[in-house]
Amino acid sequence: MEASFLEAVKVSLLSITVIFTVLIILIFTIKLLVKMIPYVAPPAKVPHQQSTAQSSIGSQDEHIAAISSTLTMHLGKSPDEFRIVNISKL
Amino acid sequence: MEFSFSASATKIITSTGFSNLEAGGMLMLVVACVMLYLAIWKKFEPLLLLPIGFGCLLANLPMSMMANTDAGGLLNFFYQGVKHEILPPLIFLGVGALTDFGPLLANPTTLLLGAAAQVGVYITLIGAVMLGFNMLEASAIGIIGGADGPTSIFIASKLAPHLLAPIAVAAYSYMALVPLIQPPIMKLLTTEKERKIKMAQLQPISQTVKIVFPVVVTIVCCLMLPGVTPLLGMLMLGNLFRESGVTARLHETAQTHLINIVTILLALAVGSSMTAESFLRVETLKIIVLGLLAFSIATAGGVLFGKIMCKLTGGRVNPLIGSAGVSAVPMAARVSQKVGSEADSSNFLLMHAMGPNVAGVIGSAVAAGVFISLFGDMAVPEPHAALEGIIGTVEPGLTSAIAQVAGAMQP
Repeated sequence: MEASFLEAVKVSLLSITVIFTVLIILIFTIKLLVKMIPYVAPPAKVPHQQSTAQSSIGSQDEHIAAISSTLTMHLGKSPDEFRIVNISKL
Repeated sequence: MEFSFSASATKIITSTGFSNLEAGGMLMLVVACVMLYLAIWKKFEPLLLLPIGFGCLLANLPMSMMANTDAGGLLNFFYQGVKHEILPPLIFLGVGALTDFGPLLANPTTLLLGAAAQVGVYITLIGAVMLGFNMLEASAIGIIGGADGPTSIFIASKLAPHLLAPIAVAAYSYMALVPLIQPPIMKLLTTEKERKIKMAQLQPISQTVKIVFPVVVTIVCCLMLPGVTPLLGMLMLGNLFRESGVTARLHETAQTHLINIVTILLALAVGSSMTAESFLRVETLKIIVLGLLAFSIATAGGVLFGKIMCKLTGGRVNPLIGSAGVSAVPMAARVSQKVGSEADSSNFLLMHAMGPNVAGVIGSAVAAGVFISLFGDMAVPEPHAALEGIIGTVEPGLTSAIAQVAGAMQP
């Protein structure tokens, strides 16, 4: 397909117009999306004392798990044969 | 069967590659070695130039059956992925999985910078026509200005497959040279005061928007330009893998293993098309010059539009981010950051430049879609099945096609 300078200029102008049109439509689409679905900041973190209590409960579970596994190995029993429900300081 | 030592020895000697090595082939072997040197020691886009260079080496070894046109050869099979437009969209799948569109969503007007950078494509198209290329060839050459390798290969394989090799090599070579080509143009077109402009922090974007965005873009753009669907659709699918949060394995595969495998196949296929017949032509030199023109004008177009946006927004947009509208992600954004920090070391433009940078990926895909809409039905048709086995791929142009058929018909 032979081409002339004038045809090339016409194709270029038409194509640039199409590209800008498509992308301007896309800009408005994105702006509409952002407006319809606004950003919501994530909830504030739990206060430190509550998290300390939660972590102490979590650490007791870990202690129970560690003691259970140690007893299992020492006694040669299956973990299902006994159950530790609580530990407390004497 | 009589065994003659001299006849057998002659047969062995004449069947070696050395006896079939021609000047053009030797020159292409040197070109391949130069590409390997640039990739390994100068680190010019090594992930692409190394396999392209090695593919070129393999294709130009005589009697190796490794050129893209050698039916039944290994690289001929790889080349089918290019010829049938399979590999470039798969690369875009990986690119989408790697891309964060957050900066673009936070400032969607930077899409205009991605559009403005495409002016390099069309100025180059006009230049190519003036240098004697037809409209299909000029379109394939012009798309180098989009600074997008897969898009360049996609369009070249569709509109001008005989120019695929020089176009691909020019596109990837200039992408590697972005840090050298862009800064002088950026400094020439902007003032010190403009380079020091600090932009406001980007607004945060909801994750839901990031999930809906790829679906909406696919529907909106592909309805307007159906020809862009393979590229843009795969880009957005990859991005959806990334943002949806429910396809972690697919995301990881797309951004690592898939893109690496497809890169190897694509680059080898492109390298296999760099035969002496297709590469050592005057058109190759013209394409290399036009490619540089395309990149330079794309950069200038983006920066000049950035200046317009700066004026219209009362100085809230730094024009340097306009140069990132070329699709070389994230190198072009890094260049904007570097030039901006040279003017003011406390100015951080990287995230602001990422918006136009990823917009350039969409812009170059849209530019490709426009070419397909305009010229897709005029592309070189597949040769008739009965002729394909005789003459292979028919080059465009009546004169060359007749010469090709006549040559194939000779005893």
